[in-house]
Amino acid sequence: MTGTAEAVRTHLPGLGLLVGGAVAATLVAGAVPGLQPLVVAVAIGVGVGNTVGVPEVAEPGVGVDKLFLETGIVLLGAAVAVEEFLTAGPTVLALVVGVVGGGLLFAEVAARGLFRIGSPTSSLLAAGASICGVSAVVAIGRVLDARGADITFAAATILLFDAVTLVAFPLAGEWLGLTGRQFGVWAGVSMFSTGPVAAAGFAYSPEAGQWATVTKLARNSLLGGVAVAYSLAYAARSAADPGVRRLWAEFPKFLLGFLVVAVVANTGLLSPAALASIGRVSDALFALAFVGLGLSIRIDDMRAVGAAPVGAVLVHLLAVSAVALAAVRWLL
Amino acid sequence: MASDPDDATGSAAVDRWTALDRGWQALALGLGVVAAHLVGQAL
Repeated sequence: MTGTAEAVRTHLPGLGLLVGGAVAATLVAGAVPGLQPLVVAVAIGVGVGNTVGVPEVAEPGVGVDKLFLETGIVLLGAAVAVEEFLTAGPTVLALVVGVVGGGLLFAEVAARGLFRIGSPTSSLLAAGASICGVSAVVAIGRVLDARGADITFAAATILLFDAVTLVAFPLAGEWLGLTGRQFGVWAGVSMFSTGPVAAAGFAYSPEAGQWATVTKLARNSLLGGVAVAYSLAYAARSAADPGVRRLWAEFPKFLLGFLVVAVVANTGLLSPAALASIGRVSDALFALAFVGLGLSIRIDDMRAVGAAPVGAVLVHLLAVSAVALAAVRWLL
Repeated sequence: MASDPDDATGSAAVDRWTALDRGWQALALGLGVVAAHLVGQAL
């Protein structure tokens, strides 16, 4: 029992910080018409993280933000109209597979050919930009037995783009006059890490948030396949075993929970009141996660990122988002 | 996550939980919330 009490005590300060930020975001958004609480949550996190910083005692609790994000996504399954997603599913899936496959190859060529970035950094950047941001950088780094410095360098580059696209995409979507579904799918295939994709989607509209998250989940589920492909391509230096074990190891397990919840909710087992209550729990978890996302965005760290990786990832982002934009406008 | 024996907290439940992959933790928490709602509406 003392172990449980100790674990709670260790996490309490950070959880308090996340809860304080989420409550403040809700109050501010409630007082200012048109302001989305989740956007304010990220802004508060960025503000606190880059001024007073996160006290050491709060770090374990703040680190739970990704668990809140993934649990919020599992519960988002209850808000998903399976029929609607199944109708658009094949189109969105084809788009995801095409963009990830084409994007990976394009990013490798751009990084090596245009910016003279060697491997494995080129592959880490390509994986981070094409699949699921920092978690893809870390997973592919593990597969390729990359040095810690290479992984940190690539992850910092991806984080820089996460912060910029989090603001730029919703603005661009408004300017382009995209529908919620178009924006969600566009952000879901073009942006990098899962948290910023969901945050940008919900900043645009609740419908866009759902589409962005579902599209991003489809993209994340390809990580195992890409990890296997990279370990085969780099076979001579690979430290990891390719095959079904690796596919499963890199598969985001919370995606299964999202699917189960979506099926349960769509079979009519849950009352409208229960669905609304689950939606509120999901919103609360997203608010906590987005305060943590904001706290993790460190402007000082981003200044240290080099020009070549920024150039390579920027070229990739511009090309992929332009192709994806044309596709969503044409297909959805 | 924390599967290193040095990280053991002294509580088997906490150690088992922290050793789980974060994706499994999220899946368990999410399904737990949904199960609680199902039980709540059945009572």
